[in-house]
Amino acid sequence: MKISRAFAIAEKEVFHVMRDPFTLAMALLLPMMMVMIFGFAIEFNVKNIHLALYDGDKTAASRKVAETLASSHYFIISPTDSPQKAIAQIFAEKDRAALIINRNFEYNLFAGQGAHAQLVLDGSDNSTVGSIIGYFSTIQKLSYEKITKEKIPYMINLKTRFLYNPELNSRWFIVPGLMVVVIAVLSTLLTSLTIAREYENGSMELLLSTPIRPIEIILGKLAPYVILGFGSVTFVYIMARGFFEVPFRGSHLVFYGGCFIFLTTCLAQGLLISTTIRKQQMSMQVAMTTALLPSILLSGFIFPVESMPLFFRILTAILPARWFMEVSRDVFLKGSGVYELRYSFFVLSVICILMVVASIKKFKRDVEA
Amino acid sequence: MKLTHSSSSSASAIGITVNNLYKKLGPNQALDNVSMNFSAGLMHGLIGPEGAGKTTLLRTLIKLLTQDRGTICYTENQREVTYEEIRETVAYMPQQQSLYGDLSIDEHLEFFRELYSIPSEQYNHKREDLLRITRLDKFVDRPASKLSGGMYKKLGLMCSLLRSPRVLLLDEPTNGVDPISRREFWELLYRLSDQKILIIIATAYLDEAERCAQVHLLESGKFLAEGVPRELLQQEGLDNFDALFIARSKAQEVLHRT
Repeated sequence: MKISRAFAIAEKEVFHVMRDPFTLAMALLLPMMMVMIFGFAIEFNVKNIHLALYDGDKTAASRKVAETLASSHYFIISPTDSPQKAIAQIFAEKDRAALIINRNFEYNLFAGQGAHAQLVLDGSDNSTVGSIIGYFSTIQKLSYEKITKEKIPYMINLKTRFLYNPELNSRWFIVPGLMVVVIAVLSTLLTSLTIAREYENGSMELLLSTPIRPIEIILGKLAPYVILGFGSVTFVYIMARGFFEVPFRGSHLVFYGGCFIFLTTCLAQGLLISTTIRKQQMSMQVAMTTALLPSILLSGFIFPVESMPLFFRILTAILPARWFMEVSRDVFLKGSGVYELRYSFFVLSVICILMVVASIKKFKRDVEA
Repeated sequence: MKLTHSSSSSASAIGITVNNLYKKLGPNQALDNVSMNFSAGLMHGLIGPEGAGKTTLLRTLIKLLTQDRGTICYTENQREVTYEEIRETVAYMPQQQSLYGDLSIDEHLEFFRELYSIPSEQYNHKREDLLRITRLDKFVDRPASKLSGGMYKKLGLMCSLLRSPRVLLLDEPTNGVDPISRREFWELLYRLSDQKILIIIATAYLDEAERCAQVHLLESGKFLAEGVPRELLQQEGLDNFDALFIARSKAQEVLHRT
C-alpha cells in the first residue's frame, strides 16, 4: 500500500467537496440546522400552558389554588364564569386544560370530606397532557399546604430528586443526543455519494486501470470525511457547552474515542451503500432512510428504547446509533468511563468492524455489474 | 520531436494472446468465442461496428471484467507472465467520458502523477513534452468540463501516457472528434509506435484500420479476421475495410443459416 496514492485520492476528494456547492452546503449547514431545530424549536419542557379556570367557590381556599397555579409559571390562566365556558375554551382550542372548582370546595375541605376539583384535559396531545398531570400533582400538594398552613400529615412525603439533570432540562438530554444524529446523517450521506460519483462519472473505470489498490481508494475517500465528521462533532460540542450550557462530566478521550468508532461505522455504511448502488441519487435516498430514521426514531434520541415493543427493542441492538447514544449521553451527563460503558463500546466496536469488513469486501477491482 | 521514455527496465515488449473468450453481459453474448493474437510492440487496431464487443474485450484484457470462459495469456519478452506482473505498465483510456469535470488539466496531471508515483523530475519533463505535443499548454488551468471534445480526448491520452506505459489500450479515442483533431491525435500515436509499445486501439472508423500495423476484426462478439491490413485486403481481393466487413458479415450470416 502506498500512502501517497491514498493521499492523492483524498486531495482530489477535497477538491470535489470544495467545488460542489451541494456537498459543501450539506457539510456546513446540516450540523447548524440540526442544532437549530433540535436545540431550539423542540421543547419537551412544556411551559406557558393555557388553562381555563372556573372558580365557583370564590373562597380563600379556592383563591389559594389559583394563586399556586399562577405562581408556578407553567400556566397562563384565563378565568371563565361558568364550567361550560371553561370547557368550551378547550373545544375552541384556546386552552389546553380547564380546572373547574365547584361550590363548597372550602367547606368540604375543612369538613374533612375531601374537596373535589375537576381537571379537564385536551387529550389530543399526549406529551402536553403528561406534563400537565405531572405539574398538577405538585400543585395539589402545594395548594393544600398553603390553605391549611400545615404539611400534609397523612401523605408519604416523596422528595423527588433527579440525578444527572436536576431540573430535567430537556436540552441536556437532547443536545448530547444530537451528536449521534449529526454524525450518522452527515457521514453516511456524504460517503454514500463518493463512490457512486466515480461510477456515474465513468472515472471508476479509469481509476481501476491504474496501479491504485482498493484499500487506497477507500482510505483516501474516507479521510476527508473523518476530518469533516470530527469538525461537526466539535461544533455540536461547543454549542452544547457554550450555548446550551450542558455539563460535560466525563473524559474527552472516551467521548472522542466513541465518536471515532461511530463515525467509522457510519462512513463504512455510506461506502457500502455507494459501492452497492453506484447511483448518486438512489444512494442518497438509501443513506437518508438508513441513517436519519434509525438515529432519530430508534436510537433513544427522543423515544426511550426501554418503552419500545419487544421487536423494536431487539432491532435497536444492531443499530450503532443506539449504542453511541448511550455513550454520548452518559459521558456528558453521568461522566461515565469506558468501564461503565463497556457493553456499549463492545457492541459498537463489533458493528463497526463488521461494517468496515463488509464495505471493503463489497468494493471490487472491476466494473462487473 | 519525440516522446522521451525512461527505458531500461521498462523497455520490455509485452504481447497478449486471447483464446476462445466468452463473456455474457446481461442477456447479450458480448464475446462469443474470440481468439486473437496481439503481438508485442505493434500498433493493433480492434475494428468493428458499435456493439461488436470491442469495449468488453479491452476491459477483459485489463481485468476490469472477468471472462466466463477462455484464457488470456500475457508475455513479456516471450516469457509468460501474470497480469499482476505487468499491471503497473498498462495504461487504459476508456471510451466514455471518465475524467473529472471539476478538475483542471494541471490538476489531472498532478493527480495521475501521484497515482503512478512518478518522480518529480521525470514528471516535469514528461508534462512539458506532453503539453507541447498536444498543444494544451495554454489551457492548463481550464477544467475538463470546459474542454472541447478533441482536447478532452487529448487530456485523457496525456493522463495515460504520463507514466510511459508498455501497453496502451485506447477505446475509441477519436470518436466524436473533428477531423483535424483526429489527425493530430493519430500523429501523437505514431510518435509512440516506434517505441515498441503494445498499442491496441478500438475504433469503429474503418479508415483508421489501415493506419495500424495489424488489425483484428470483430462483429457481434464474433471474431472475423486478423492480420496486416494490406495483406488482409489482398487476400480477399478488396480495396477497403468497408467492403471486407460487408463481405465477411454476409458470409457469417450464410454460415449461420446453414
